[in-house]
Parts: sequence; C-alpha cells; structure tokens
Amino acid sequence: MNMNLPVITGIGSVTPYGPLGGLISAAPLQPGAITDWTTSGLRRAFLVEPFHPAGIVPGVKTRRLDRLSAWALVAASLALQDAGVDLSVMDRSRIAVFLASGLGCVELTEAFYQSAATNGWAGTDPITFPETLGNSPASHVALFHDLRGPNVTVSSKNFAAESALLQAASLLRHGQADLAIVLAGDTLTQAVYEWYEVADLLAPACFNNEPVTSADGFIPGEGMVAMVLESAIRPAAHPYAALGSGRWAAGGDARASVRQLLGDDLPDFTICTGTGAPCASSLPARDLVSEDSLIYPAQAVAAGMGDAGGLLHLLLALSNRPGRGKALLLGRSAHGGYVALRLELF
Amino acid sequence: MIDAQKTIVVTGIGVVSPYGVGLSRLQAGMLAGECCLTPATELYPGFHGTVATINALPAFAEEHRYSRTDRLAMAAARDAVADVNCDTLRESGIVMASTVAGLTEIDPEISRGPAAWYRNGGLARAASYPVSRVAASVGEHLEIQGPACAVSVACASGAIAVALGANMLLDGAVPIVLAGGSDALCPFTLSGFNSLQALDPEPCRPFDQNRNGLNIGEGAAVLVLETLAHAKQRDARILAVLRGWAMTNDASHPTAPQKDGIGLAACIQRALEMASCNVDEVGYVNAHGTGTPLNDIAETHAYERAFHGRRRPIPVSSTKSYFGHCLGAAGALEAAITITAIQAGALYPTLRLTDPIESDQVDWLRGELRRQPLPMAMSVSAGFGGSNAALVFGSHRA
Repeated sequence: MNMNLPVITGIGSVTPYGPLGGLISAAPLQPGAITDWTTSGLRRAFLVEPFHPAGIVPGVKTRRLDRLSAWALVAASLALQDAGVDLSVMDRSRIAVFLASGLGCVELTEAFYQSAATNGWAGTDPITFPETLGNSPASHVALFHDLRGPNVTVSSKNFAAESALLQAASLLRHGQADLAIVLAGDTLTQAVYEWYEVADLLAPACFNNEPVTSADGFIPGEGMVAMVLESAIRPAAHPYAALGSGRWAAGGDARASVRQLLGDDLPDFTICTGTGAPCASSLPARDLVSEDSLIYPAQAVAAGMGDAGGLLHLLLALSNRPGRGKALLLGRSAHGGYVALRLELF
Repeated sequence: MIDAQKTIVVTGIGVVSPYGVGLSRLQAGMLAGECCLTPATELYPGFHGTVATINALPAFAEEHRYSRTDRLAMAAARDAVADVNCDTLRESGIVMASTVAGLTEIDPEISRGPAAWYRNGGLARAASYPVSRVAASVGEHLEIQGPACAVSVACASGAIAVALGANMLLDGAVPIVLAGGSDALCPFTLSGFNSLQALDPEPCRPFDQNRNGLNIGEGAAVLVLETLAHAKQRDARILAVLRGWAMTNDASHPTAPQKDGIGLAACIQRALEMASCNVDEVGYVNAHGTGTPLNDIAETHAYERAFHGRRRPIPVSSTKSYFGHCLGAAGALEAAITITAIQAGALYPTLRLTDPIESDQVDWLRGELRRQPLPMAMSVSAGFGGSNAALVFGSHRA
C-alpha cells in the first residue's frame, strides 16, 4: 500500500436508503411513487424519506435551510463519526469541505421564484436568498463544525462528484489541507422532474410499477453522500480505500487515456459510474481490464442523482466489494466525456 | 532555484467588462478613471438603483442554447486564447466560476407550472440553469476536450477558480488551464441583494466611512494558466507569475464576514507563505471592497492583522468602484486588473473614497492614479458562506 495516497476513512449518507453512517448493507432499492406534488398518473423516483436531522445530529438547525444543506450537515456529521475523527484535537484551519452538486439549492431557488411570482421582484424574501447560493450546503458544514480550511463547491457535467473527489485529493497532496470532507448530492423537485419529463429523458420504469434493474435507464433520484478523505492514515482509522491517480475529461480518446492511466497495473474490480450508461458496454471496460476483473454496474439509484451520483456509485460498490485489491472507478457520458480513478480497496 | 514544473504563469487574459471586450479596454478605462456605474430603473418594476452593464456582447452561433452568463464566459475565453498559439490547447482544463449561471434565462412564471413553462419555450432556457454549463459552454465554443469544472463559492468563486486551476497544473493533469469567472446581471440577484438591503442606490463608495452598500455589475474574465516549463517550451509571452494562492473559511456566519477578519487574514498569510514572500514585498492589494458596512470594516481588520509589522502601510484599493461587483466573475476580473497593475506599475485608486475608514496600517489609494514599480501584488476575495481566497501575482521579470 502506498502510504502517500489520500485515503477514505469515513462515510455518511442521506439517500433513499435513509441517513446512514458507513457502508450500505441493504438490498437494491426500487423507486417510489411521487406524492409531494400532483402528477398526471404514476410517476416514480428514488426519493429520500423525510427525517428529523436533529434526531441524528444533536444541535443541528435546519428549519430554514434547503434540504440539500440539511442533508450535507447530516451526511458530513455521520462521515466524521464513522471516521472516528476527534475534531477537538485537530487543526480545523486544515480541514477542507468540497461539495459537488449538479443543481445546487434548487428547492429554495424555486421558493425564491415563487415569492417573486407572488409579490414581484421587489417583494422577495431576504431569508431565502442567501440559502439559494450553491455554496450554502458546504458553508453550513463549515459553520456547524468550525472548519476553517478551503470551502469549495464545484459542478461538472456528468462527473461533478468524481471531479470533487479528484480535486479534494489534489488539495491534500499539495498540503493545502490535511483532511477534506467530500460531499456530492442533489435534491429532486417538481421543476427538475418535469424538466426531465418534458425533455423526454425518463425511463419507462418512471411510469409503471415494474421492478427496475441497473440497466433500465434514467430514473431521477436524490440524496447526499459524504466521504472523509485524509492525507495519511491515522492509527485508529479504518480506511475503506486509497485514491490513486485519476483523470476526467469532456471528450477525447477515453480508451487511450484510461490505458495510459492503468499501464500494466490492471484492476481486479471495475466500478461503473455516470448517469446511466453502463460503462462496461459504452467504454467498453471489458477490454481495458483483466479478464478476471469483476465489473460492478452503474446502479440506477446512483445514476438517478445525475452529475452528483458518483459518490453513491462508489459507496454502493464499496458496500458490495469482493474484497481487498485494486479497483477502477470508470464512467463514460453520452457526450463523450469520461472519468477514471484508480483505487486501492482495503 | 525556480522549479519550472511547479511555477504557474499567466500567458493570456480575456475580459468582457462594461468597458467592452478586451483587457486593453478595461485597463484604458480604469487608467482614465472612467466609472461605468449608471442609474437603472428598467431591470424590474420597482427597482431604482445603480448597476454596470455590458451593452455590446459579441454574437454566437446557436445563441439560444446559451445563457447570457455562458456568452460572457465564451467571449472572455475566446479573447483569452486569441494569442495562444498552442497545439495542446484542445486538452486544456477549464475552471469557470459563476453564481448566477442560467438564472438569467428563467422567470418567475416557472413556479406557476414548470411543465407548461417548459413546453412554452422554457425547456432550452432551463437547460442552461446548471452552473456546470458555464464551463461546458466554454469548452464547446473553443472545442476544448479536457476536464471542465464550474465553481460556485459565492463572491469568492472567481479567485477560487484560479486557485483550483493552478492545482490542476501542479497535478500535471493538463497542459493549460483556462480559469476565470462569469456572471450576468439578472433580476434574481438584484432582487436578492435588494431584499437584504445591501445595495447602494448611488454609485458605491468602498472603504468610505459613509459607504452604503454595493452595486452589481456584470462581466467575465479568463486567465490562461500553465507551468513555466510549458510556457517556455512553446515560447509563450508571460504576463505574470501566480506566486501563491490560498482558500479559507470564516466558519463564523452564513452571510456576514467575521468582524475581526481572522479568516481572511489567515488566507492572506497562507498565500504569502506559498509565495515565499514577506509582508513588505507586496506593493498593492486589490481588495474585495464591496462597499457594504460589514465587509469593508472586516476586511480592513484583516489587512491590519495580515500585514502587521510592515515597514509602511499596505496600499489597498477596491476596483468595484469602477464597474460594481460582478459576483462570481469578480475574483477573476480583479486578478486580471491586479496583473495590469503590475505590468503598468499603476495602482488604481478607489473612486469616491473621500472619508476612508481610519487605519494607520492601510494606505487607502484614492484621488490620483499612483505610478510606481510593482513587482508583486495581491488580489483578495470573500463571499457569503464565509469563503475567502487570496492570489499573489508577481512580475515575470522580478
């Protein structure tokens, strides 16, 4: 094991599986019927059931926050707890928060538009406005835990979560932080769901009660996953994986790039990521990895989170990993973009 | 001994500002002391304020696919690479900041029935909503296929984009990075800042004791970053060296800056450490300087703390007094302005600064333009959510 690689030492999540610390041991989920708004017939999605954040993280106040901020607070707290990090003995100016989201605080953005529709632009709500900003979730995590290091929110078409993971690892490698909480998530609202529907992007399974498989296409989802990334393994830590080198791009020769990244060091386990296209057939992964390599397909519940689904793909794969060994997180978008990240699983 | 693989240089700058397209227009306007802030009432019913707008934005093919923020970004990026003759440009990374992104294209009617709004022409407009579209649009426009990332860290976004772009180069992930920010004026943000009573209806007066808030502007700036080794290899014209960068968070309040400026001061000190320079070597700070009562006093305390022990007070100005606060683009625009200050040996004064905040450790630049050699200068940004960023630029000749 290379001791210089950033390691994932803690995981927390708020997903359709519920708020959880550590790995997810539940069986694959089926989407649920949307009841939060009126739909013309059955509409399904992977939704987070309502829960009481303060029941999980004592002292947290989320009443005025976008759900994305509330989930970030819960997921980050669960991840820190899972990592066994004692913040009271750490230099909090060396702890970074790195959030990826495709759509940001879309719930309160819609609420702000609603107030403008009702009262005019001159009568909008001053409490709501700052909470619409994309960096609100990450800043609430910093505020709640008194984390004074870099606080960054990013987005990247198709691979927002993966890019956050790579960039957070870069911060650690360059000594700009000792620990980073990497988060990735999005919320699903009526306006978002209906955009997918009008754009004709929804899988048939959104409109019926048939069981869903991983290859069934795009079924919108929501959630937030947090991972604690540390620059070195603490004696008491129980790391899940170490992050090796990686790359992502909006286009170009993905196959050549991944081959160059891997060299002769082929992975035993390939984790497909992305917004739905199974990487094993679209890249294809099979001829880039050894014949014995297991391929863990993109999971519909994670693909439903769109650009921010990468951490959930990784979490589900870690939860179902065959054992220790070399792994590759690999994704390809419909537009030719790709991501590849080497991992060592513990 | 300089490590050319680890030294980041700026080899191109593209700007779209209320002065027009191009860094030279921006610089000429600022050297002349020209203020672009004008009264506006037409932005939405009931709005009476002061803004800075861009009147002539270049045309693009398939313009309907792009938000105004996208188009500002594309124009700035095109301007930035106009002189970059490099066969590795196609593999470049893109890191673009924005806070507004496609909010410019969405109107409140969406909330009365999203599906109907999409079917009535809103579908393509809403497609430009995600902030990632700003970076993706630049990539599409310039046919760049490297990693494209958008940054959304409120008003510190533009500077943080430059910092993340520099990290990407240190990783050796890409040969070149286009890093910057873009934001367009739109009712959403004007209304939001107005609801917070943060807007000065008159042209803003950063760092003045009688300051009364900020003015919103629009614009975009893109810096071409690469390692010194790569720039030398292709014989590129080096405009400046990015000597150091840092990011911190106040972890103090969701919107207000930390009163004593500790978080911002720590950010400045970290950037100076990375630049391996002492407090006396910095000749000018292009401040965040929004003109709001809370920001400007906190920022003053940060300078007093970070530059404590200097032999002379630190020269500081806010160039937001020329064309307002361009939000996600501000950090990138001000980085570009800081580089022009180094190149021209020109320290831009804050406009309308008649009664500055009292500080014996800050040399408030006001009145006439000050001319002096400037080997090193700093650009400082901060934003809602407590984020801070500092960039230290140096002359390539220094």
